[in-house]
Amino acid sequence: MRRQMSLGLSIANIGYHRAGWRHAQARADGAMRFDHYRHCAALAERGRFDLIFLADTASVRSMDHPETARERDHEQVKHEPLALLAALSAITTRVGLVPTVSTSYTDPYNIARAVGTLDHLSHGRAGWNVVTGFSVEEAQNYGLDAVPSSAERYQRATEFFEVTNGLFDSWDDDAIPRDKESGIFFDRSKMHMLNHRGEYFKVRGPLDMPPLPQRHPPIFTAGTSGASEELAARFADVVYAGQPTLEGARSYYASVKARLARYGRSADDLRIMPGIMTYVGRTRQEAQDKFDALQALLAPEHGLGLLVGHGFPDYSGHDLDAPVPQLSAQENLFGAFTVKALQKAWHEKLTIRQLYELVCGGFWSLGTIGTPTDVADLMEEWFTTGAADGFNIQPPCVPMSAEDFVEMVIPELQRRGLFRREYEGRTLREHLGLPKARSRYEEMARQVERVA
Amino acid sequence: MTHGDGSANVTRRMRLGLSVASVGYHYTAWRLPEVSSVGAMDLQHHIRAAQIAERGKMDFLFLADWASLLNLDDPRIARDHEHAQLKMDPTLVVSALAAVTERVGLVPTASTTYHHPYNFARRMATIDHISGGRLGWNMVTGFNPEEAYNFSYDAPLSSDKRHARATEFVEVMHRLFDSWEDDALLRDKQSGIYFDRNKVHMLDHDGVYFRIRGPLDVERPPQGRIPIVTAGVSDNAMELAARFADISYGGQPNIEAARTYYRTVKGKMGKYGRSADQMLMMPGLQCYLGRSQGEAEDKFARIQKLLEPKVGIGHLILNHFPDLSGLPLDEPVPDLSMTNDMMEGRISGREPELTLALIRRAKEERLTLRQLFDVAMCGFWSLGVIGTPNQIADTMEEWFTTGAADGFNIQPPYMPAGAEDFVNLVIPELQRRGLFRTEYEGATLRENLGLSPVPNRIGSGLEQTLALAG
Repeated sequence: MRRQMSLGLSIANIGYHRAGWRHAQARADGAMRFDHYRHCAALAERGRFDLIFLADTASVRSMDHPETARERDHEQVKHEPLALLAALSAITTRVGLVPTVSTSYTDPYNIARAVGTLDHLSHGRAGWNVVTGFSVEEAQNYGLDAVPSSAERYQRATEFFEVTNGLFDSWDDDAIPRDKESGIFFDRSKMHMLNHRGEYFKVRGPLDMPPLPQRHPPIFTAGTSGASEELAARFADVVYAGQPTLEGARSYYASVKARLARYGRSADDLRIMPGIMTYVGRTRQEAQDKFDALQALLAPEHGLGLLVGHGFPDYSGHDLDAPVPQLSAQENLFGAFTVKALQKAWHEKLTIRQLYELVCGGFWSLGTIGTPTDVADLMEEWFTTGAADGFNIQPPCVPMSAEDFVEMVIPELQRRGLFRREYEGRTLREHLGLPKARSRYEEMARQVERVA
Repeated sequence: MTHGDGSANVTRRMRLGLSVASVGYHYTAWRLPEVSSVGAMDLQHHIRAAQIAERGKMDFLFLADWASLLNLDDPRIARDHEHAQLKMDPTLVVSALAAVTERVGLVPTASTTYHHPYNFARRMATIDHISGGRLGWNMVTGFNPEEAYNFSYDAPLSSDKRHARATEFVEVMHRLFDSWEDDALLRDKQSGIYFDRNKVHMLDHDGVYFRIRGPLDVERPPQGRIPIVTAGVSDNAMELAARFADISYGGQPNIEAARTYYRTVKGKMGKYGRSADQMLMMPGLQCYLGRSQGEAEDKFARIQKLLEPKVGIGHLILNHFPDLSGLPLDEPVPDLSMTNDMMEGRISGREPELTLALIRRAKEERLTLRQLFDVAMCGFWSLGVIGTPNQIADTMEEWFTTGAADGFNIQPPYMPAGAEDFVNLVIPELQRRGLFRTEYEGATLRENLGLSPVPNRIGSGLEQTLALAG
């Protein structure tokens, strides 16, 4: 069968456009209302998405910085992803459920239980997106004054995975006979203590749960640093990359996949799914109108605040319709993304207003405005030329933009044979076409058998 | 009903929880042919239990928990014959249940020792929103060494430290819940203002166990305060209950002990500025029900018969008995007395009262070894009754009306039939006597429990006022 795309629907908050909540049809309080998420989950299953994805950060952002205009953002209150997806597991049957979990501010035994519970509740539809936490507000909710260094966070994340993977291997497949006749519920000889003693954690095990339906629920990671690529190559099943250009995406794709071999993995063991923000209309004009309507909702104070929040200089007091001012030797004060965007602004002589509209539109990663054919063309090109194995759809405004995608783009992808018409599998691993996961003990036994 | 002073009073009604330990409270429940041994790992099992509770207009479904297997190092304790060691995280199970139930309260167990208050407050506030205000929390501090080993400890914290941490945990959680004033989230599409900065509050908590800046990133839970359940008979546990608990899940085997416990715990509430009616005392109750006494006895005998000596003797060890394996099963046990050695060598935190009662009874009734562990294992460490609906209702009424209980946590020996029996047979009898509701009174768990609303203390300025008042 022809290779097919994997598609995730990212349903955090009320969408990826920061002012989208002001749209007349938007559910402004959606992020705190379960029936909103219920609707999104049903939509994802109707569209035959592989998974629902929930981004997360465990804090309210930038409360010390009024210049960021966070009071105009809709992202500050929300549902905790594990609890939300557990609830959605009860009212969905096929779609994968992927919460974001930080390894910096949680404990591996609790997370192994929680992810394991989600996998059992959903009969094998759990995944987890692992982050290490970059916001200082988050660190301050967990007894720290500042975010630990990237090296330290990745070291902890690596040990965290060693523990959770080990806990998931606590029981052999046939370790829980539940034999009413003999009275033996579980077989001690098929149980494995972990006895992990590392730098960050001491965990004895075993996990107090039978083997997970998927054994190891797929791990998602993002990030473009060398350390994050290495972590992905070692542990991840899916990488949620954020590349704005086809060339950048291809070289990222090649770089991450090339790292797999040193961990004994093949290129097919990892899916790369960049985020994509889509404004879809039946005509290009209709799509452009949808985009313009959302952009028009962005108040100048909000736009300027967003720039500050993204690490740009504070332009309040400037003429919004004047070109973005040149900077002297301060460029190294800003992150790579900011510098790139500023260079683009100077090169194209963008005004301040145009700059914040660009940032707010979501085009820091992949974004597109167009007809279903336009969007499918773009996705097909990325998919067939070594830039992506699939995409994480980031609707600007939920549910409308997600409905547009399901009603217009999915049928076009299906017509082209690029995406499934029906679910073939039951588990998230099956949806994603990932190999069956085996416990380390079973893997070892198979190797011994091969040698013999 | 009227008070002595003639003032009108709302009829006092019992509160009832359905406490489900995996597939039942009896250790061998899973071996009954009609019981699904996969049970607790299957969401449908939990949905069914919640629906039974909801049909019976019960206040809540209660899920016990500990984050480990127990007694792994002691093969004398046959945990591999038990069904309750392998389980799901109950906070997430009740979140799933919230999506498919309407009225019943949902009470998962979670430990203050092995969670972080910010993570926990987010999860609890979220589930309270998903359920429309039906969440409760059974707060435990976790004394099992096996749990400690899973969370980077070499041994459990001392009781004092666990209770100090629990106290700080609850206080922080309550303040986190109050981060957003009720009218902080404007979501005004016209002006573009989503929230009012002046109505969001930082915590800046700097305590012994936690440093948390806040605010919580979840809107205030619908109940404001999520009802807290606690258990335990140690001094520390009773203080914690008197201070924070909305429900005390007592485990007293007889009415005299229960009355004493009731008075003792409620008597401690005054010093925390609480009145005795702000806490509901709900002991556990395990019952075997039949339309006749004989039918009830048969049900009991049927499940007891599945008890293996190995399991029974292991449980005597857990209750501080010496290892009695090797003794003949069907001859009277030798005279035992509680010795210091027994308590020093103990491998569980169980209170010695049950052991003393068992030793006394073994001597008086010349119990055989088999009879001794039969008694020890049938779950009668709390209240247990084998009888007809009328007899069970009589016991409950007596406890309820004579200062021993405000309600009960029903512990079905096996699921789902044990719970169905209770809902089908006992609840109608309690309703006939006017002791239990025939319809839910409110939408939230707090409302159904008759607990008063809790205003936002930060937003209302109450917190500052209280701080000034010291």
